[in-house]
Amino acid sequence: MTILKPLLGWEGFLLAVLIAIIAANAALSPQFLTLSNQINLFQLSIEKIIVALVMTFVIINAEIDLSVASMMGLSACAFGWFFQQGVDPVAAIGLCLLIGVAGGAFNGWFIARVGLPSLVVTLATLIGFRGLARVLVEDRGVSGFPQWFGDLGQKGLIGPVPFALIAFAVLFVALFVLLQRTGFGRKTYVIGTNRDVADYAGIDTGRHKMIIFMMSGLVSAFAGLLFAARVGAVRGDVAQGFELDVITMVLLGGVSIFGGAGSLMGTLLAILIVLNLRNGMALVNITGHIQTGVVGLLLIGSVLVPRINLSALRRRPQKEAT
Amino acid sequence: MTLPLLALRDISKSFGMTQALSDMSLDLFAGEVHAIVGENGAGKSTMIKIMTGVHRPTSGRMELDGAALGLSGTQDARLAGIAAIYQEPMVFPDLDVAENIFIASTTLGLVQNRGALRARAQALIDRIGMTLDVDRIAAGLTLAEQQAVEIARALSQDVRVLIMDEPTASLSAHEAAQLRGVARTLAGQGVAVVYISHRLEEIFEIADRVTVIRDGQHISTRLVGEVTPDSLIADMVGRAVGNYFTKAPSQTRPEVLLSVEDLGCEDIFSGVTFDLHRGEVLCMAGLIGARRTDVALTLFGIRPATAGRLRYKGAPVRFTRPRDAIAAGIAYVSEDRRKLGLAMPMPIAANVTLATLAGILSPAGLLRRRQEAGIAEAYRKRLNIRTPSVAIAVGMLSGGNQQKVMLAKWLALAPDLLIFDEPTRGIDVGAKAEVHDLIRAFVAEGGAALVISSDLPEVLAMGDRILVMREGRQMGILPHEGATQESVMRLATGATTLAGAA
Repeated sequence: MTILKPLLGWEGFLLAVLIAIIAANAALSPQFLTLSNQINLFQLSIEKIIVALVMTFVIINAEIDLSVASMMGLSACAFGWFFQQGVDPVAAIGLCLLIGVAGGAFNGWFIARVGLPSLVVTLATLIGFRGLARVLVEDRGVSGFPQWFGDLGQKGLIGPVPFALIAFAVLFVALFVLLQRTGFGRKTYVIGTNRDVADYAGIDTGRHKMIIFMMSGLVSAFAGLLFAARVGAVRGDVAQGFELDVITMVLLGGVSIFGGAGSLMGTLLAILIVLNLRNGMALVNITGHIQTGVVGLLLIGSVLVPRINLSALRRRPQKEAT
Repeated sequence: MTLPLLALRDISKSFGMTQALSDMSLDLFAGEVHAIVGENGAGKSTMIKIMTGVHRPTSGRMELDGAALGLSGTQDARLAGIAAIYQEPMVFPDLDVAENIFIASTTLGLVQNRGALRARAQALIDRIGMTLDVDRIAAGLTLAEQQAVEIARALSQDVRVLIMDEPTASLSAHEAAQLRGVARTLAGQGVAVVYISHRLEEIFEIADRVTVIRDGQHISTRLVGEVTPDSLIADMVGRAVGNYFTKAPSQTRPEVLLSVEDLGCEDIFSGVTFDLHRGEVLCMAGLIGARRTDVALTLFGIRPATAGRLRYKGAPVRFTRPRDAIAAGIAYVSEDRRKLGLAMPMPIAANVTLATLAGILSPAGLLRRRQEAGIAEAYRKRLNIRTPSVAIAVGMLSGGNQQKVMLAKWLALAPDLLIFDEPTRGIDVGAKAEVHDLIRAFVAEGGAALVISSDLPEVLAMGDRILVMREGRQMGILPHEGATQESVMRLATGATTLAGAA
């Protein structure tokens, strides 16, 4: 209850903000509520929002993964390189996903086993993975992927709904169950709250962190492939800088940067808020740079508001406890 | 002693439906040590928080020197000369003693005059009668020294009312005596000292008057000469608590559960040798720095042994991680609830099942929440955990109840060997007796308990045998028969200094 109440409060607040944004958008622009615009709104940021789901695990675990966007780039570029070398595209997809798992394991090993701070390790791999990506395709860019691969990114799979959006929905449900309903999810929260307590309770915290970083690498690699499919071409700078958008969405969703608190529902609501806000602003011709500024303000607000809000809420559980 | 220095008049404080304090009145006089005792949840913390400006009373008023005193924050309380120090002192580990003392001082300029600072710090340390080098870095200070730093910090701000909240709960007997000396010294200098402690013997040693509160109400205020431990306990719990200090008969069985031979770990401790039988309570006594907790950590696999042999259930074992020990049925109830024991912001239920998570998973790996709530609920009843619900954060509970949640976590594991590190530190008499009963019930069912305690009456009341350590060495094992506080202390101090000081 005590954990849920503030979160319900925060999630309720996010929901109210979301509804307000949607209402304003619908009022301002007749195209907003059309199905094609709604799909388009997801489609443009689909890679980021997929990675935000797994970033939620990383941050609740009291870690950070700055290397996600570089891994997206590495995976996309590796796919381009394999394609150039004549590797069968299906096999190339498998290899790229493997690269994701391996890259995540590399991060995880230094963080969980050696005990280095994730901020430093993943900053290093942010640079390292990006470097590898650039080495693989240099600045030329690779395109001319098979028709079916491009269709996967651009065409509707079920009616007008594209594969990536379905993947996002499936991943959301699976990760939601994993985080909020399983022992693995419980451990994620406990370790993020206090790793020593988890260790003393016999939880293999090193293994847990390892798995989370491998998940992060895998999902980032997958998102990189989606990007390649959607855009139809890859270059060394694919997805550059995306990590900050991803982290922004997770923090906006109420996940504590100190770990231990937050939920996937919060992340989902934050994703919807950011997407709808940007889309709405675009529909009324506000430029991308101003959109970015507004999202920044929103993030500051998201850190500020719960502090005001929570101190009021905090009193309530105390009443019950005394 | 006519006009009280600080007076509470009919102070009430409620949090929603809960009345934490009702019509509390209290006079504090300059130069007295005024002890306040009460069970956990009696309202002591709320009272301190009102006196230090953290909470505002719902009704009632405070007077300082007879004039109305309204505190709208902790800053106001400090300006009025009211300060509190707690069980866990707040020092900045990288600064030295002098810097720590003047950390909050607003009179210091941007450029510090080292010499003057040192001299003033030294004067304050001298004033409280401690010997402490003001150039020492705080990281290496003992708890008692850290508390001295906090007291000196309060003195530097002209404290008139010093509230000491369980200051000796984590201290060894020697350090505690030191700190009690400080309290007396300050009272001698005209400070009103409010002394909160669960160690009744301390109160008889240093307090002038003692106030008992229960359920947020003032029960009695008397001169210490007018009360006895029994009368105090009766006032605190509202009933007579039987045989707290009486040893229950031993239930030791012949079967050896854990056999420790010449155990050592790096240069931390060495030569620890004992057999622990089923049904037995073995107490480990010693001063701070005796390395008792380190022995426990080695037995639990946190810091693997580097010397000696361990046999458990008859077979040689070596634990290198806590989960090895846990898998073997060994539980370690840490002395540090906050850092090592409980995930404070998480619900009680989640904490209770922390060590037994696998047991509440469905075959698909999903948490069975109803089963989890059921387990937590069962322990709430069995251990008498006072909480409106097992769904609230464990951090919201009082210390004694947190301790019980931690116990529940380990009892849920159904262990064979329970290692308790300071099981009753900082919890009240009633909860203490409950924890003792739980330990006895645990060994009666065939478990074995290793109890580390700095509380000598507890050691004598619980231990079938008493293992005494000193500076990483085992000094001897005393059978319960014939062991006294003096004989334990003599071993713990190396027989020469301080004999019988406890």
